[in-house]
Amino acid sequence: MEDSPPGSSPDSNSPSRAESFDRDRHVFFLQMMYQLMPSQYQGQEINRLTLAYFAVSGLHILRSVDSLHKEEIISWVLSLQAHPKNEALLNDGQFYGFHGSRSSQFQKIDNGVWTPNGSHLASTYCAVAILKTVGHDLSVTDSETILKSLKNLQQPDGSFMPIHSGAETDLRFVYCAAAISSMLGNWSGMDREMAKEYIINCQSYDGGFGLTPGSESHGGATYCAVASLQLMGYIEDGLLSKRASSCIIDVPLLLNWSLQRQAADGGFQGRPNKPTDTCYAFWVGGVLRILGAYQFIDETALRNFLLTCQSEYGGFSKLPGQLPDLYHSFYGFSAFSLLEEPGLHPIRVELGIADNAAIGL
Amino acid sequence: MNSNSDHKMPLSQRPEWSDVTPVPQDDGPNPVVPISYTDDFRETMDYFRAVYLADERSPRALHLTAEAIALNAANYTVWQFRRLILESLEADLHEELNFVDLVASSNSKNYQIWHHRRWAAEKLGAEATSRELEFTKKVFSADAKHYHAWSHRQWVLQALGGWEDELAYCQQLLEEDIFNNSAWNQRYFVITRSPLLGGLETMRDSEVSYTAEAIISKPENESPWRYLRGLFKNDMQSLVNDPQVLSLCLTVLKAENVSYVFALSMLLDLLCHGLQPSEELKNAAHALTSEAGPPGSDLARTVCSVLERVDPMRINYWKWRKSTLPAQVV
Repeated sequence: MEDSPPGSSPDSNSPSRAESFDRDRHVFFLQMMYQLMPSQYQGQEINRLTLAYFAVSGLHILRSVDSLHKEEIISWVLSLQAHPKNEALLNDGQFYGFHGSRSSQFQKIDNGVWTPNGSHLASTYCAVAILKTVGHDLSVTDSETILKSLKNLQQPDGSFMPIHSGAETDLRFVYCAAAISSMLGNWSGMDREMAKEYIINCQSYDGGFGLTPGSESHGGATYCAVASLQLMGYIEDGLLSKRASSCIIDVPLLLNWSLQRQAADGGFQGRPNKPTDTCYAFWVGGVLRILGAYQFIDETALRNFLLTCQSEYGGFSKLPGQLPDLYHSFYGFSAFSLLEEPGLHPIRVELGIADNAAIGL
Repeated sequence: MNSNSDHKMPLSQRPEWSDVTPVPQDDGPNPVVPISYTDDFRETMDYFRAVYLADERSPRALHLTAEAIALNAANYTVWQFRRLILESLEADLHEELNFVDLVASSNSKNYQIWHHRRWAAEKLGAEATSRELEFTKKVFSADAKHYHAWSHRQWVLQALGGWEDELAYCQQLLEEDIFNNSAWNQRYFVITRSPLLGGLETMRDSEVSYTAEAIISKPENESPWRYLRGLFKNDMQSLVNDPQVLSLCLTVLKAENVSYVFALSMLLDLLCHGLQPSEELKNAAHALTSEAGPPGSDLARTVCSVLERVDPMRINYWKWRKSTLPAQVV
């Protein structure tokens, strides 16, 4: 009589799993990636900063970030920052954040200013997260540039565009804007009320959140929504005990939807009737942690599922028995941190970085 | 456009590019996570940088962006420059959509492609409507839950129209796979937003019947249960009082060899919102417990207890629900 959503019942031929989280091998995996990424990743060139974030923040969570040269990281990240040629240009409608890689910075013109300005909101989030992780405080001037021009990316409906030259707008970039503002300790770069309205419009009839209003509810989008609301101060602690009417979103329905994402094989899925996948242990697990409901999941079953996705080469794969990739590895480590795996730093789940990085220790 | 093509001549050896000096990437010292580029990739990007910096908006530059996209479809700088060239050349955007079709066949989970499609479709306006609807259908025939394609289809309907056959299309997809949550979501999108239908309240009764049928055929399917609840969004009282809903729960609870977890969960929510259960409902729920004797007065508590047993993955949640039942619930 148990629920068994299609495609997720335990398979007697599933690959054998390790008994434990193999921290040393994961550290080795990340260090290898940090040194040199295989050419299969060249399609992610434009987002190299994101790959760096996975490697650096991943090593930090695994308590091995001291093995890296922090000054090197800082100087490389800062070299990706977009600067206006002069103060006056700060009102030219462009966003001055960080590029994802040199592949959108073509030529240095003067005063360390690169052209074109292809800086991107998601890359900016990753840059700020990395700098926090290695303990570098952006100067007041630098933060000001980012925050003043952040406004240029917010849309009339409250959502955010990631680059000023035009792109899709959705919840991912609302999250990036909120996380950047939170990490820089300054909310002048975005209209929180408008962003909140957009988020509310993204809550689907089933309690989860879609990437845009009307879209199907999805684990990743739900994380972006809930983490943003938390960072902006619209969700309080003790949410579960509050009466339904006092919250701006439907919390009981969200809670029920999120818990139902844990499937028969113990892993989390991103949407109903879809296969389980390592990364949702963070996206949906993170939502439950923020709501104060993490204790409602079956931690043993989740752990066992994640261990079937742990690679013998280090890292985690999307599905059991596949080869690992950097994205699923990072979210696998983060998920184990949520499970309070010994030897891992606790994470500030709504920021996607270790707790002690978030508070600047 | 095959990036693994052996017969593609390096740009440095092509006579039509002999006047251009490629601009290499300057990573600076100690770059983090350096990627091991193939020569092909590196060279194409070197030439792209050159035409970009020269702001050359020519047919050969357009062709070069196609080559760069084939190697690196995620590079939004390349797509953005391609759009500038297309505008300068006043290119045929129908042709451009053909180009995107080709790129999408190997890169469909890529945000830039979908944004580019939207840009072209927006410029073409109503001319693009049926083509874009057809294109997303094609994607769904290979992957009926493709998230980007569904977002794009929703955008097309809202910006360009074409609602006439949408409900029928959802029906078709659900006939093919009643578990397709994307199709259920689209159905909700249509009944709530289509300018051709009467809106949620008008459609509610017929939708409840449709959904009940889907539930009865597969009670373990989460999607129609969520949809059913969604039909009564912001109107819990109507849900509690709807005879079809109560009858549905009863049917599932009394059936043999079916999963009744969602039925119990629905019943629990109804009780928490003031449902006064019939004797029949009380008996049906009680029959699922291992308790002897007549049903007690605490139906909601009973339901939670059964859920703890039959949905053990969420046992802590059901225990918490039991401990936080509203005071006046049956």
